[in-house]
Amino acid sequence: MMNSACLALAIALPIVGGALMPLLRLPDKKRNLLIELLVLATSALAFACVLWRPETNFVLFHLTGNMNFSLRLDGLGCVFTCLIAALWPLATLYAFEYMRNEERTTSFFCCYTMTYGVTLGVAMSEDLVTMYLFYELLTLVSVYLVMHPMTRKALRASRTYLYYSIGGAAFVFIGLVFLILYGTTTNFVLGGVLDMEKVGGNVQLILLVYVLTFLGFGVKAAIFPFQGWLPKASVAPTPVTALLHAVAVVKSGAFALMRLTYYSFGTDFLRGTWAHFAVMSIAMISVIYGSTMAVRETHFKRRLAYSTISNLSYVTMAVTMMSPAGLFAGMCHMVVHAVMKIGAFFCSGAVLHQSGVEYIDELNGLGRRMPFTFGMFAIFGCSLAGIPLFGGFISKWCIAMAAVETAREIPYAYVAVGVLLYAALMTAIYVFTVVVRAFFPDRGSVTPHPEVTDPNWEMCLPLALFAVATLALGLHSGPLLEVLQSIANGGF
Amino acid sequence: MTITWMFGAAILLPVLSGLFLLLRQGKIENRRLKCVGIFLVMALTALLAVALICSPDYELTVWRLTDTISLTFRLDGLARLFMGMTVAAWTLGGVFAFEYMKHEENEDRYFGFYLIVLGVLLALDQAGNLVTLYLCFELMTLTSLPLVLHNMSHEAVMAGLKYLFYSIGGAFTALFGIFYLFANGLTGSFTPGGYLSAGEISYTGTTGMTLFVLLLIIIGFGTKAGMFPMHGWLPTAHPVAPAPASAVLSGVITKAGVLAVVRVVFYMVGADFLRGTWVQYTWLTLALITVFMGSMMAYKEQLLKKRLAYSSVSQVSYIMFGLATLTVDGFVGGLAHFIFHSVIKDCLFLCAGAIIYNTHRTRVDELRGIGKEMPVTMWCFTIVSLGLVGIPPLSGFVSKWYLAVGALGSGTGVFTWLGPVVLLLSALLTAGYLLTLSIQAFFPGADFDYAGVKRHEVNALMTVPMVLYAAATLLLGMFPGALIGFIQNIASAVL
Repeated sequence: MMNSACLALAIALPIVGGALMPLLRLPDKKRNLLIELLVLATSALAFACVLWRPETNFVLFHLTGNMNFSLRLDGLGCVFTCLIAALWPLATLYAFEYMRNEERTTSFFCCYTMTYGVTLGVAMSEDLVTMYLFYELLTLVSVYLVMHPMTRKALRASRTYLYYSIGGAAFVFIGLVFLILYGTTTNFVLGGVLDMEKVGGNVQLILLVYVLTFLGFGVKAAIFPFQGWLPKASVAPTPVTALLHAVAVVKSGAFALMRLTYYSFGTDFLRGTWAHFAVMSIAMISVIYGSTMAVRETHFKRRLAYSTISNLSYVTMAVTMMSPAGLFAGMCHMVVHAVMKIGAFFCSGAVLHQSGVEYIDELNGLGRRMPFTFGMFAIFGCSLAGIPLFGGFISKWCIAMAAVETAREIPYAYVAVGVLLYAALMTAIYVFTVVVRAFFPDRGSVTPHPEVTDPNWEMCLPLALFAVATLALGLHSGPLLEVLQSIANGGF
Repeated sequence: MTITWMFGAAILLPVLSGLFLLLRQGKIENRRLKCVGIFLVMALTALLAVALICSPDYELTVWRLTDTISLTFRLDGLARLFMGMTVAAWTLGGVFAFEYMKHEENEDRYFGFYLIVLGVLLALDQAGNLVTLYLCFELMTLTSLPLVLHNMSHEAVMAGLKYLFYSIGGAFTALFGIFYLFANGLTGSFTPGGYLSAGEISYTGTTGMTLFVLLLIIIGFGTKAGMFPMHGWLPTAHPVAPAPASAVLSGVITKAGVLAVVRVVFYMVGADFLRGTWVQYTWLTLALITVFMGSMMAYKEQLLKKRLAYSSVSQVSYIMFGLATLTVDGFVGGLAHFIFHSVIKDCLFLCAGAIIYNTHRTRVDELRGIGKEMPVTMWCFTIVSLGLVGIPPLSGFVSKWYLAVGALGSGTGVFTWLGPVVLLLSALLTAGYLLTLSIQAFFPGADFDYAGVKRHEVNALMTVPMVLYAAATLLLGMFPGALIGFIQNIASAVL
């Protein structure tokens, strides 16, 4: 059993460490080593916190009334904590090699590391107020990372990102106020905290507030029509796009939606109402939009960004099933998608880094030159498309099971299964065209790429590990599913 | 225990050898040695498969993906039938390819994937539950893709992608149904007669929705079988592949769609559940439309391989029609036609391949007098063509007989007579698009320059498979008893 102060320590370590980094003025090699150690230490601490979970909460400071800034780790928080704690060190390792020839790397890594702490903060928040704080912070520290290339395009993208996120947070604030007014507490309690006596005749109003808050958090989860910032933000360096825009930031959004739906408003209150239909429809539209746009997009990284939109909306869609099975499926896809999408992004980054190719129609025949990278991409691609034996199949299976279960009461959920399969077909199209182009180019259309090779071990190792993880999730996910299941049922 | 080992070896041997070939692409200098090696792998796999076929029924759960999803394989009559056809077609196609692929580029890649697909198909034939079936189905699509786009021309790559997207789209359509059936309690392994007719298990799905998803499954898996409305890929993809690959694609891989439909309809849900419903009628209609449309298109087509591909569209739906009648005779006719059509279509594609290999002629109107140049090839072509038209004592007659009897006794209203009529029309068209070719080949007419014709037949590696197929067509037509009896046993268990 750990002291609950360890939670604060895990969050503070990267934030403070990252902030101090520019002051040390270390040479690149030493700085990298220090950062990796810092990140590893944080991850170790985070895992320790999950394994020997502190039972009490940790109050950071006291606001007015019964509003605290406090940390606490519950089951859902554990899942998200483990996810980022596992991915961050690997992504950092990849970033060292990727950023080698870039400028302003110290400030880049400073922000990159601070973001880690803030994301952990989102995962460990005990109540909506604290999460709101970290949520805003996350926008602020990560905006520099989008801006980092400092090109016009990057500056514009970062501005878009900022406006979208701040705007979303404003919606969230409305929700926060109403929860303080109508809830028993702002803490996260599975099943919701609304006080039905206080709600009284204002059910419609609360539902409206729920939808608004959903949209607010949905900005980070890139749901339609607030997805615009994500494809633009893919101008950021690949480690950022891969880790932040496929995992940390966007999953914070999805995570917040789970909190909001299952732990604040409560599914019993929402199930079957118009708000339920509304959010389910939004999620379905996002899935369709994201996957269709991904097929149309020819820029490699942007295509993956659109794929992220569609996949995150799988999570959202699972969440909107408003049942324990839905929460379970959402968590499952959150984990699986994190692993496979970060891997896919790293592949695109490796291609960009080694050959400078950005567009898919220039990939012809590159598979011969970079067999390892594209082999790994094929694995992530199969997983994204939901081929059995790969992780993606398991999570899609869970989502479909949740949808069919919900559909027994609310037949509208069958549409979700259809949407899921439509998106799966689109996914197959947008990943397999890449694989086929790389390995089986049209005769005569091969773009010459002399002297392009696979990247070095610092880039290959994360790829290989993610590929192994994707396969492991696909082949033997029983233990993971058991844990997630018990979390979703409130038993963890 | 030995069964487990043999099962594993039969699947892993070709897959691993194929992977080995892929990794050593272009590095094996001695071609003869390589071909002998490949042949030994195929022969050994065939022996293992035969040993499995002769062993008693088994059910193996190889692995559990999650608590509810297991990878299960089981051997039963149907699996035996498909496995036998698969290894036979693969071995003969492989032998043919040793010669055919001599001058092609990337032949190692071809043989590598060829062997991998063999392993996957043997697994598919024995798939024991819905998830395993779906898994093998997807793997089959992915691993057979390189065979389709082998020559890497723009046309071939595009055809490959079309094949991929249709197949995956079809599989996903079927997956909707699998999700539904599974989520509502149909989680067990395949059992003859299915679960719903017996009513033993607690199934929570509604009848209407179950019928709807069954249609999705039939259409989805039917994509692989080239059934209307998802047939579009077949005439594009089969002709661009190298001839021996087209042969197994048409002969065996399209039948995987049939196998999947049989598994779901007769082994999961049960024929009684479907009988007399709108889904059965839709299925019959789709099958008949495909039969007629495929024959018409084949009749109009001038490229030989494409004509054969359209013919496959039509013929595979004969099988679908037989199954859709949900009668014992229809079932027997369907599965018999599966074997016969595999043999015949394999042979036809190999003949087309031999002609292309020898003369580079691809259009039907260029084949005047070819019978004088390549008599063995064209004799085989003619014999199996007669079989496909359905002329006794060749095999096609037997299966069509059962198909017609099944349709007449199915009690499906208008289809009882419409079915046989369409089959008959299609047989006429079949004669039109195949036999005219034989006639032109052997009797080019008075104005033909006989003096300029030199006899140059392909060598034994290519002729032996063709002759064997032609002989099989004849023998199966004359002595169908054993095979029909075997299929009747399967049919009586499921219906």
